[in-house]
Amino acid sequence: MEAVLLNYITQLTHEQLDTPLTVDDDLLGSGILDSIGMMKLVSFIETELSMVIPPEDILIENFMTVKHIITYLKTT
Amino acid sequence: MPNTLVQSLHNATKNTPENSAFTFGKETLTYTQLATKTDQLAAHLVASGLRKGDRVGVYMFRCLETAIAIYGVLKAGCTYVPLDPSLPMQRIAYLLNNCGIHHLVSHPNLRKKLLKIVELKTPLTSIIGLSDIDSIATFSWDIIYSKDNNFKPISILENDVAYIMFTSGSTGHPKGIVHTHASGLSYAKLAVKTFNITPKDRIANHAPLHFDISTLGYLAAPLACATTVIISDAHTKLPASLATLINDEKISIWYSVPLALIQLLQSNALKNKNLNSLRLVLFGGEIFTNKYLAQFMTLYPKAKYYNVYGPAEVNQCTCYEIKCPPTLDEIIPIGTVWDETQYKILDKKDNIGELAIHSSTMMREYWKNLTLTKASFYLDTTSNPPKKFYKTGDVVKLNEDGNLLFLGRNDRQLKIRGYRIELDEIEATLLTHKDILEAAVVSLSISDSTQEILAAILTPHDNSLTAKEIQKYCGLSMPKYAIPNKVVFMDDLPRTGSGKINRKAIAQTYKTY
Repeated sequence: MEAVLLNYITQLTHEQLDTPLTVDDDLLGSGILDSIGMMKLVSFIETELSMVIPPEDILIENFMTVKHIITYLKTT
Repeated sequence: MPNTLVQSLHNATKNTPENSAFTFGKETLTYTQLATKTDQLAAHLVASGLRKGDRVGVYMFRCLETAIAIYGVLKAGCTYVPLDPSLPMQRIAYLLNNCGIHHLVSHPNLRKKLLKIVELKTPLTSIIGLSDIDSIATFSWDIIYSKDNNFKPISILENDVAYIMFTSGSTGHPKGIVHTHASGLSYAKLAVKTFNITPKDRIANHAPLHFDISTLGYLAAPLACATTVIISDAHTKLPASLATLINDEKISIWYSVPLALIQLLQSNALKNKNLNSLRLVLFGGEIFTNKYLAQFMTLYPKAKYYNVYGPAEVNQCTCYEIKCPPTLDEIIPIGTVWDETQYKILDKKDNIGELAIHSSTMMREYWKNLTLTKASFYLDTTSNPPKKFYKTGDVVKLNEDGNLLFLGRNDRQLKIRGYRIELDEIEATLLTHKDILEAAVVSLSISDSTQEILAAILTPHDNSLTAKEIQKYCGLSMPKYAIPNKVVFMDDLPRTGSGKINRKAIAQTYKTY
């Protein structure tokens, strides 16, 4: 899942990242994703994993980095 | 009343020294702290050789230091130029060169990008806000704050340039909107008066610095000795977190593009949230779909709601109070002009025409672009002395009740999430690609609140250029929001009878694409 997410997010940015994306990169605070990109990422995860992410879970603490997302997905 | 933005901060420091000026997350600056830190930054800038009128780049995500940067630069008699950190390097290079920027105020979280910036061919000689880049002089905030505070105030006049905001330009290069202390402060005064902003208010700043909506929090709030709550980039992307922040920070005035509020509604994030402190909801930048506005107003009936209108060239110029949730088919007016402002409807026919504005809040010019400046103003010679009116490019209708209705654009400018995009700029950029023979860019309405950009491309027959490659190419020189969402390849672009590319036909063909 980690590689899938890194790859998808890289695509979302039209490959304009300054350095290859890592699991620790701040997706939200450093301009990698905008609000539309964030919505696309959530629906991508929902489709990939056939799950529904409740809106109240889409929080900074669950989506800040790919690592945070993986941790969150493990707990649901 | 103050005459400059610097005096405005000075007054707030005298009147409400212990009031919070800006807060960001857990950090807060009182007016006294802000005054000290901005003196220290100004002292450093002056000592670095900066003179009155020099431009200083502010290259930061939303953070507390944005406030220090703005007022520090202004105190030094200089002009601040917000630079969007998500811009591609080519565009940053263009702006640094175009404005002759030698000094950048930035933040450690932009280190990776700064390492690339120092490699660009630009006049840059120093970066403030971090310390560990070898190839250029750097000054961390700790160094700036460690200096004795013996700053000698610089004499600043109201007609000195305060800031330059860049926006999409149809020729392929961004255009800089030049505001003076007078025009910026005039906006602040009118906003404080119109919205009755007091020292008790807590204003949410949702917009990034390079977006003119941010002037309410950064320029008007200090005039009123109020507090500006700077919302982090992360919060602007996650409605559930944002709702908690509005609740916890007891925001009393909200101002953003409608999309931010629509996302709050759609994400169901407002459930169990107490937004009772909200007394004023201002929105602007684009049209708020009635369905969502009505939903929001029904949820929070105690707040007052204003549709705010004004291109960045005039800051704000009209507003309209919406008294009850709108029905689906009514058009919400942009209202009528506020104080110190006059308007004309040019080429008026049946009360419809292009809106032109003369106001104390009006920009001085477009940066280094006399031709465009001249073309953008209408000179009314019937008044003595003749008056300059800024031609907004917005088509309006004057209603019987004296309110103006926004009907659309008279050119190919478009707003997506409040950001101005010139479709011609995208076309101009596409045509610089060696394998693109022809390009036509149109907007498609995806739903009642979203638009997408479609680029129709003609390439040589044996060419293998892909849509992804084209998007990537656009991303090299244009902001993310201007990258076409869809790229289609056509064997021939449709033409009108006179041989022009028929963009309407393209939009029609792909409207459900």
